[in-house]
Amino acid sequence: MPQLDTSTWFTTIMTMLPTLYLITQLKLLNTNHYQPPPTKNSNLQSHGIRWQPKWTKTCLPLSQPQQS
Amino acid sequence: MNENLFTPFSTPTILNQPATIPIILFPAMLVLTSKHPINNRLATIQQNLTQLTLKQMMMTHNAKGQTWSLMLMSLITFIAMTNLLGLLPYSFTPTTQLSMNLAMAIPLWAGTVMVGLRFKTKNSLAHLLPQGTPTPLIPMLVVIETISLLIQPMALAVRLTANITAGHLLMHLIGNAALALSTTNFSLTLLTSTLLTLLAVLEIAVALIQAYVFTLLVSLYLHNNT
Repeated sequence: MPQLDTSTWFTTIMTMLPTLYLITQLKLLNTNHYQPPPTKNSNLQSHGIRWQPKWTKTCLPLSQPQQS
Repeated sequence: MNENLFTPFSTPTILNQPATIPIILFPAMLVLTSKHPINNRLATIQQNLTQLTLKQMMMTHNAKGQTWSLMLMSLITFIAMTNLLGLLPYSFTPTTQLSMNLAMAIPLWAGTVMVGLRFKTKNSLAHLLPQGTPTPLIPMLVVIETISLLIQPMALAVRLTANITAGHLLMHLIGNAALALSTTNFSLTLLTSTLLTLLAVLEIAVALIQAYVFTLLVSLYLHNNT
C-alpha cells in the first residue's frame, strides 16, 4: 500500500503544517466580514423645516393639520 | 492488478521532485480575501459559507472553547477543499495519505486533552469513569475508558484516510469495469449510472469533513465544559 511508504511522510507532513496552521488561518483572518451599514432614521415629522407652504403641503400632507 | 489499483495514492513526483508540495498548498489558494465591502459572487458565497459554518460550529461552545474557532474553521476549510478537489479525475488527494491525517489528528486531539487537564483537571479525569458504575467494576472500567480516550486520534486519522481512499478506489474500479464492458453495450448504461450515483454519494466526502471536525469538536466540548 503506497500510503505506508514512510519515505514521503516527512515531505507531506512538513508541507501540511504550514498550509494548515499558517496559510489557511491567515487567509481566513484576512477575510473582512462587513456588517450591513445601519440605516439612518429619517424623521418625517420634523417641523423645523420652513419651506414654502406649497411644498410642505405636497411633501408632508400629514404634518399640516391647519390647512388640510 | 494490485499495483495498478494503488498507484493513484502514491505521492506524485514530477521529474523526481515531490509534487505534493504545490498540491497540498493549492486548495488554500482558492480561499478569496478581499478588502472591499461588496465583493463579486464567488467571494460573497465563500464569505457567507464561512460565516454560516462558523456560527453552526461555535454555537455550542462557551467562551473558552470559542478561542479555538479559527483553528477549527481552517481545519474544516482545508479538509473540505482538499477532498472536493480530489474528486476531479487524475488528481491527487493529500488526505488519502495516512501521514498527513495522523499529523493533523494527533496534535489537535492532544491539544484538547491538555486544555482539559490544565484548566479542569478534576473534571477531565472524572470522565474516565461513567456515573453509576458498580464498585467492583471500577478498575476495569477506568482501563477501558483510558483506552477509548487514547484511541481517539488514531480513529480520527484512520477514519479519514480509509473513507477517502475507499471511495476513490471504488470509483476507479467501477470506471474500469464500465470501460471494459463497453464492448457489450447493454450493461454499460447500468454501470455508468452506478458510477454516477456513487460519485454523487461520494460528494458526501464533504460530510466526512463534518465528521472529522465534529468528532474533534465533541472531544473539545467535553474537555472544556462538563
